[in-house]
Amino acid sequence: MRTAAAQTAQAGSEASSGRRVDASMSLLVDVMTDTLDRSYAERAARAGRGRPAGPARGPRRRQRAAPLLGILAVGVLTGTAVAQVRDRSSADQGLRGELATEVAQRTRDSDALARRAAELRDDVAAVRERALGADAAGRAASERLAALAAAAATTAVRGPGVVVTLDDAPGDDPVGAQPLSGGTVPEGRVRDADVQDVVNGLWAAGAEAVAVDGQRLTALSAIRSAGEAVLVDLRPVSPPYVVEAVGDASRLEVRFVDGPSGRRLTTLTSLYGIGFDVARAEQLDLPAGGTPDLRAASPAPGGSS
Amino acid sequence: MIPALALVVGVVLGLVLEPTVPAALQPYLPIAVVAALDAVFGAVRAQLEGIFDDKVFVVSFVSNVLVAGLVVFLGDQLGVGGQLSTGVVVVLGIRIFSNAAAIRRRVFSA
Repeated sequence: MRTAAAQTAQAGSEASSGRRVDASMSLLVDVMTDTLDRSYAERAARAGRGRPAGPARGPRRRQRAAPLLGILAVGVLTGTAVAQVRDRSSADQGLRGELATEVAQRTRDSDALARRAAELRDDVAAVRERALGADAAGRAASERLAALAAAAATTAVRGPGVVVTLDDAPGDDPVGAQPLSGGTVPEGRVRDADVQDVVNGLWAAGAEAVAVDGQRLTALSAIRSAGEAVLVDLRPVSPPYVVEAVGDASRLEVRFVDGPSGRRLTTLTSLYGIGFDVARAEQLDLPAGGTPDLRAASPAPGGSS
Repeated sequence: MIPALALVVGVVLGLVLEPTVPAALQPYLPIAVVAALDAVFGAVRAQLEGIFDDKVFVVSFVSNVLVAGLVVFLGDQLGVGGQLSTGVVVVLGIRIFSNAAAIRRRVFSA
């Protein structure tokens, strides 16, 4: 009976008589041709033989309800699967948005705190000025303090200098798109090492104060990268990277451009199309850098020099 | 007509109620849907050929879903879950397409 049923199921396709030529491929052929469940044909054949046409009342009702329930189950299954997938993608989206909001919020907070710290520093400086301005020794100490503070980048400074601008080669997507994704790094992208190179070149050329994208560099500043984002003192900066250096403008420019880092950047520009520009500035205003946290060191007792 | 309605009602129910699926079963849901669809297309074809049987439909529906899930589960345990899911989808997809073609031939005689 099984072969009879199989033949019924294969009605329309080629009749199988004897051994087939493609017997070794029977699995694939079965998949392609034997698509209807054989049990349908078997049950039909049994029913046709067993009892006369026209089923009884009882099974008739059951016959209508069970398939409907089955179909309903299929629908619920499909709907649940679709809802699941949608849920997952919307959850991802929501999470990303939440994180972005949090990053923006924290950045604002941190900016506000930095401003507050600068205000307080100014207050302290003003109070100190008043206290030291009373006599000659105090005034001398105050001047010395101001000079040291400027050199240590704890006060804002102003003066002539040069502005070096570094930018990614045109054609690459802006770093803002996915700076932390890590994927392949386009060749024409400015790396943290390039910014370091410029800063070191400027120091070597005689710069007295340097800031990257408005962030003053101190003796303890670090320029690093996370993913593809360049970090200055752990705060991300974005291209174009503007490096300002205060110093003797003409001397600074000549020595920087002719120095090793200037030559290296000129090479990078001609090789990869990185944007590199050096300009003199009459007056630059550099903000104060963060006060370094002294963890282990403390002022030597009694030592004023 | 009524079965089609039942299908739509089922989809809406699933979308609206969003039944919680245990996390362990989630990967098998799409496979289960494909397997169930195969059973449905088989049933429709059998109906058109006049050999539909409710018991066969329900049994084939349940067993299709279970076996498909089991195969993928086994694949997951063996580290080839993705490939086996693809295999299940391909085989069931072929069946769905040829059953749909048979249905089309019956309905439109073309």
